[in-house]
Amino acid sequence: MEGPIATEVHVLKIRILVPVVAFVLAAAGPLVAHHSFAAEFDDQKPIKATGVVTKVEWQNPHVWFYVDVKDENGKVTNWGFAGGAPGQLMRRGISNKAIQPGMIITVEGFRAKDGSNNASGGRVTFADGRNVFTAGSEDRTPDAKK
Amino acid sequence: MKYFVAVFAAALLAGMAGSSSLLHAQSEGSSAAAPAFQPPRTPAGKPDFTGTYQWPKPLPGDEIGHSNATIFDRRKFAPLKEGGEAFLEPRTGDPRHDEPRDFCMPAGFPAGPLSGNAMQLFQTKDYLVMVHEFQRMTRIIPLDGRPHQTGIEPTYYGDPVGHWDGDTLVVETTNFKRWMMDDYFYTDPKEYRMHSDAVKFTEHIKWKGPGVISYTITDDDPKIFTAPWSQEFEVIAKPEWAAQGLFEYVCEENNRCPGGKCTVP
Repeated sequence: MEGPIATEVHVLKIRILVPVVAFVLAAAGPLVAHHSFAAEFDDQKPIKATGVVTKVEWQNPHVWFYVDVKDENGKVTNWGFAGGAPGQLMRRGISNKAIQPGMIITVEGFRAKDGSNNASGGRVTFADGRNVFTAGSEDRTPDAKK
Repeated sequence: MKYFVAVFAAALLAGMAGSSSLLHAQSEGSSAAAPAFQPPRTPAGKPDFTGTYQWPKPLPGDEIGHSNATIFDRRKFAPLKEGGEAFLEPRTGDPRHDEPRDFCMPAGFPAGPLSGNAMQLFQTKDYLVMVHEFQRMTRIIPLDGRPHQTGIEPTYYGDPVGHWDGDTLVVETTNFKRWMMDDYFYTDPKEYRMHSDAVKFTEHIKWKGPGVISYTITDDDPKIFTAPWSQEFEVIAKPEWAAQGLFEYVCEENNRCPGGKCTVP
């Protein structure tokens, strides 16, 4: 299990992208998961959020990382984002050190079907502009095109 | 005149035959320069599949899905049996039925080994052990000539027994539950492909070149298809993955949103 939850809270902003007509989604490339994307996430509800990582669970069947984000009204919410399986990410060169509490990251993915503050986390962009692709098997990415 | 035509034709044929022989000789000469591939072998002389590998991948041109899980190419399927058991499992709206994997139920064979994770093979005189990272599935395949088990309940991975046909390892697996055939539902949730409990899967495993194993699965499912059908895949050796080994995979550890309902972290 993970260690103590980081309590440092740097609130930034969250932007939930509403579906637009021109927004075309497609399945992502060579990725891995234990379930189908459609079972848990809604590809009509993309999300792009920036904030500070509060906790990382580098566990199966999917890694989860949590980010404190602030919406346009200043309300801070802790969001959970799912990535791929640890083994798959490791073979893509993404180790369990890649995302750590305290980091400021931007995450792009899709919201959970139950409307909770959870989402897929297909792409993570760090403050220095680097990004990693943490998606699971058939997860979809906001910029994927059919 | 006929005589000259016949002589000319004979001379022409002889010339062609000679050219053919020459080409053949040249071809043999070329192949002699490049020694024929010799598969790794066990001390007993059998092809040795021990090693770390990528999951079976489709051959160029074969159908691929929207995830990296390998799927069967629908063009390989035999016709469905008229009045046979359903090939596509109807959706019920119950997530436990519609996608049991989301609740950490097993992938089963052959969907499991076709999922996009590393796998490791261990071979002894009497066993081939196939360990796949996804769900840490393990298939222990006896090679000692024993028959299939009897009097056991159907299972997700079936009852495999293997034998050698020259340098090809042939594994026949029976005694299955009706369960998912592959991961095509990742691509189209409406196409949840099944095999029946009468299916026999036969794997033909043989080295085809350095670091490349030919891996053919034959699906003989008399309740669903009119005839057996087969598809060849390739299994690529990944010795660079061996040092790291396979990762633990405990699906229940942090399965946070089964059925689309997320738990509180």
